[in-house]
Amino acid sequence: MDFLANWLINIPGFAVPFALAALGLIFSERAGVLNLGAEGFMLGGALAGVGLTLNGAPPLVALGGAMVAGAALGLVFAVLVAGLRINHVISGLALVFLAQALTSYIANENDWANQSFAGLQDLVLGQDIVVWATPLLCLGTVWLLGRTRFGLTLRAVGENPGAADAAGIDVTAMRFAAIAIGAALMGLAGGYLTVAVSKIWVDNVVGGRGWIAIALVIFARWHPWRALAGALLFGCIEALIPRVNAAGWAVPQYYLQMTPYLATLAVMIWSAARGGDRWAQPAALGQHHIREERD
Amino acid sequence: MATTENLSLRERATKPRPAFRLVPLLEPRQKVGETRRIAVYAASLGLAALLSVLLLAVSGVPPSDLGTEIAATAFSSPRALGSVLAQMAPLVVAGLATAIAFRANFWNIGLEGQMILGAICATAIAIFDIGPEALRLPLMMLAACAGGMGWIAGPAYLRQKLGVSEVITTLLLNYVAFNLLLHLLYGGWKDPVSSFPHSEQYEAVERLPQLGWQTLTWALPFAGILAAALWWILSASRLGYLLDLLSANRDMARAVGVPVAGLSLAAILASGAVAGLTGFVISAGIEGRMTQDFHVGYLFNGVLIAFLGRNHPLGVVIAAFFMAVLVQVGQSLQVFFGTPFSLVRLTQAIFIICVAGSEFFLTYRMNFRSAS
Repeated sequence: MDFLANWLINIPGFAVPFALAALGLIFSERAGVLNLGAEGFMLGGALAGVGLTLNGAPPLVALGGAMVAGAALGLVFAVLVAGLRINHVISGLALVFLAQALTSYIANENDWANQSFAGLQDLVLGQDIVVWATPLLCLGTVWLLGRTRFGLTLRAVGENPGAADAAGIDVTAMRFAAIAIGAALMGLAGGYLTVAVSKIWVDNVVGGRGWIAIALVIFARWHPWRALAGALLFGCIEALIPRVNAAGWAVPQYYLQMTPYLATLAVMIWSAARGGDRWAQPAALGQHHIREERD
Repeated sequence: MATTENLSLRERATKPRPAFRLVPLLEPRQKVGETRRIAVYAASLGLAALLSVLLLAVSGVPPSDLGTEIAATAFSSPRALGSVLAQMAPLVVAGLATAIAFRANFWNIGLEGQMILGAICATAIAIFDIGPEALRLPLMMLAACAGGMGWIAGPAYLRQKLGVSEVITTLLLNYVAFNLLLHLLYGGWKDPVSSFPHSEQYEAVERLPQLGWQTLTWALPFAGILAAALWWILSASRLGYLLDLLSANRDMARAVGVPVAGLSLAAILASGAVAGLTGFVISAGIEGRMTQDFHVGYLFNGVLIAFLGRNHPLGVVIAAFFMAVLVQVGQSLQVFFGTPFSLVRLTQAIFIICVAGSEFFLTYRMNFRSAS
């Protein structure tokens, strides 16, 4: 019983980073930008959260800083992918490499590594404010993408940039905006990870969660509510690991650590075998728009 | 009133448009000359080098000292050159592994996982003393190939049969492989002598022999032979020609009868095998055992080297040498100036972004003139 209660109460905290990162990815990818930089934006946000907190900023300010840091890295990515029209995969990888090196460098220069802090406190029912805000952010995303002119424009750019351009939409500007909003959300996801969950910085603290979020978005077929459900599923798995360790069951520890990655692979395989992802994904995902080029 | 309106209309019609647009119109280039290609590539390297020097200057290494540092750490003595060349061997193999996959349009981001599996399989041969001593090294080599291939086979199958993006599957398997490595090294494969979490030391017959010059082992010639063989396959053989055709235009290749699926699968598996060999080269050629962090940074290095070397084996060798110098200089700066090693990684990231960005100037022509 104790086991179950401890497990359940820990799920939301583990699910939130996945949910926020997935929402960020949905913004970017619904505008047609294949975004493999998730891990990088999350690292940027995670470091900003740690840096601000260690310098005395209250947790909510630190989380705000994490969003700014994510968005700043997002602009670098946007220049590469939407400005210079570099291959989406290369741009994403380059961004992740840059963020890994940059965060490790900055943390090292400022001696931020391995210093624990109090971080974000719980609000109600053992959950902090970001947990409560996440469903609202999801609702906001659904409304913004589905019910506003901005959302319609964003999706038009992701489905058929040529037609959007002909209709007078500035495709490049729209993609910059989508990437920046998405990167800010992913920065928040990373910031939450350090400010509220780990409460400490170690290099590569994000540990592949950005890549899991990318798989999650495919699994959710680019829809915010389904992404939230997927995030909960992964939260369940991640929250289980420390519980099983604490319960002292004889499961080899490193096999246990593999489970989130194996579960992601399983979900990707299931999702592909189910079929139909190709119809669900934004039609122009990963394609550049050049007005002077014939399709 | 009416006249002013008419005037303003006429004014609008005849008003000279600005001859300059701030955001240029992008025109795709039909073809790019070799001179332009080289010039743009050189310019991007120059820009990256300039930014790196600036970055180092900001973190306390004066540019004047940097030149002497590079000369001193890499080229001043046979010993210095020897250690650069020793660093270079696994980098060449890692770059080749990545380049083969990239040539087949397969984003193999799972280099580290495949390296780990290669090293695990080779180490199993060494620990359990499988096979006669004379055949031990070749067996370890084959095992490393098989391990790397096995680790990439899953993503290759998923990509070809189900269309699952290999970027994510190969990457996720890195984490799985790393945990498997830790499971072994903290469990049954712990060094029985020191009980540290690395494998027992390989016996002499399980290590690549010394070359007899500085600390170099056969790892370097091995990497050289591999590069030469791949250069021949990719540039001179029928297989390489078909692979070029395939990566240039998959549909066209299929239409003219190239066995597209089989050929890509062969290239992908080869990439995994060479990645496995990277693990073997580090374990048997440098460390003399399997350590728990031998793979760290190789994914990044592999992508960067393949990218700088334009996926060409000769280019890979040159880029790997360049990276080995960079790593060596980074280590020496760490000692003398206290600059963190992550600065080297940052420099590498700058190079990858500059070279990636330079592609723009080859693909498009910027038109700043306003449309008439």
